[in-house]
Amino acid sequence: MTNPDLLALITTLKMAALTTVILLLIGTPLAWFLAKMQSRFKVIIEAIVALPLVLPPTVLGFYLLIAFSPQHLPGQLWQQATGQQLAFSFSAIVIGSVLYSMPFVVQPLQKAFEQLGEPMLEAGAMLGAGSTDRFFTIVLPITKASFITAASLGFAHTVGEFGVILIIGGNIPGETRVLSIALFDHVEAFDYAKAHVLAISLLAGSMVLLSAIYLLNRVPKSTAKRCKS
Amino acid sequence: MNCLSLDFSITLDTFKLQLQQDIHLSGITGVFGHSGSGKSSMLRAIAGLESKITGTIVLNEKCLINSDSKFFIKPEQRHIGLVFQDSRLFPHLNVLENLKFAAKRCQNRRLDFNEIINLTELDSLLHKHINELSGGQRQRVALARAILAEPTLLLLDEPLSALDRKAKASLLKMLLIIQDKLQLPILYVSHSLDELQQVCDKLLVLSQGKAVGFGNIHHMIHQLNQSQKNSLIQQQTSMSLPIKSLNNGHGLAVLSLNDKDEIYLPALEGKIDVVKKTLRCFILASDISISLTEPLNSSIVNHLLASITAIDTTNNKVLVTATSGQQTFFVSISVFSQQKLALKVAQNVYLQFKASAVRTYLY
Repeated sequence: MTNPDLLALITTLKMAALTTVILLLIGTPLAWFLAKMQSRFKVIIEAIVALPLVLPPTVLGFYLLIAFSPQHLPGQLWQQATGQQLAFSFSAIVIGSVLYSMPFVVQPLQKAFEQLGEPMLEAGAMLGAGSTDRFFTIVLPITKASFITAASLGFAHTVGEFGVILIIGGNIPGETRVLSIALFDHVEAFDYAKAHVLAISLLAGSMVLLSAIYLLNRVPKSTAKRCKS
Repeated sequence: MNCLSLDFSITLDTFKLQLQQDIHLSGITGVFGHSGSGKSSMLRAIAGLESKITGTIVLNEKCLINSDSKFFIKPEQRHIGLVFQDSRLFPHLNVLENLKFAAKRCQNRRLDFNEIINLTELDSLLHKHINELSGGQRQRVALARAILAEPTLLLLDEPLSALDRKAKASLLKMLLIIQDKLQLPILYVSHSLDELQQVCDKLLVLSQGKAVGFGNIHHMIHQLNQSQKNSLIQQQTSMSLPIKSLNNGHGLAVLSLNDKDEIYLPALEGKIDVVKKTLRCFILASDISISLTEPLNSSIVNHLLASITAIDTTNNKVLVTATSGQQTFFVSISVFSQQKLALKVAQNVYLQFKASAVRTYLY
């Protein structure tokens, strides 16, 4: 791996890590809210969260590019607050990734919260545990595997992002040039050797991460079986 | 005096629970009703788990909810314990950790952690995983966990319904010992009258979302015998009687009914603590028969002279109520027998029943 590619790797990891942390912070309350929600607007919110699964990334990227530009309100507000342009910045690709990877974090968490249901929370309340206490001592430990799955999927999906970043981030080394874009550059330049290195690294990395997730999700089942017998 | 004042209603899609009842809390109070009678909703309302509630609930002069002034104390701040039918033990914690979860959150602890573990016989299970426990063990952990939170009132929601008879009996015995030691008021909801008859001092009867009676357990059971909806229970005579002998040398235990009469039942030796002075027992109305003369030449050991106080006929079944001394007995016979014996109110007859007809659930 050459130096610019190493830089792209660091940018990618930074972006994916930051995105995952933000997604867990936003996605957890959102998933909780959706799991408990009974209003008919629930389906609308669920559809919005799931949109990135079906939408071409370029559609999302295109709208975000417009919103982030200094001519429009979000971009203007950002510029006033930070003094820097939002479009084509590291912050822009993080925001884009958060939106684009949202379903990969929210959906597993929502499913876990729905499965957990009220019984354990009621039991906790009857023993004097308040709502924050219940979240950290009952919900979090019981749904731990789902949190790890959500975080890993969010991270992996962010690493694998291309379209959104290309549109709103451009290709600025050290700022917005991530691995998938570096790979695209190598292919464009017919530098297949370098492209191979990046492609195989991404493939292997993703494979390892996904295997780890599936391994993790398999463990509770086998212990359950052992306990029953 | 501990008192629970209920004056509330809960309206769900298919039914409405409406209660107006003051319950003096001492010992174990039973709440009896069939499924759909609203007894679980009542417990959930007291616990604070039911949100669609209007009215007031006051426990020991402390208001728990008043829907008019939008006042609502959260379940975790009510100091009320609840043992659920399905245990609801935390699957990510072992037995000891489940118990500590409760003890840790209890402000001003008074109970000795180890004493509760001894009382609920959990010593050997402390490090077991929840999945390794049997149904009876789970409920014992759930009971201990609820007690360790040191509530001012303990609610039991069908705690034994998933257990076999042996586990039920041992848990009921345990419950009596715990109640005796800790003096913790308990509200015990069940659709099984047998369970309630053994442990409750008072009984609240719910039917179709309304309270239809509240009072002494034996009195309430006898009232249910005669109610129009007598399909509610198996008609029976319910009694608490002093124990005279656990074994009279002939394989029978002796209870004294009054100064001169005794009731015999299979020996209780080894099954029961001698210190226990009275025995809760019941005799199904269908297990007692009536004879006009004293059946001296019979293998049936119990025969009591009684005076008929009422005769009710429904659907070819006759329910005869008769008193012997202070005790009322209920006897169900066929219309055929009633006509053959020409039974009348105020007539003196002999009630006879086998020793094995005197049932007690615990032993």
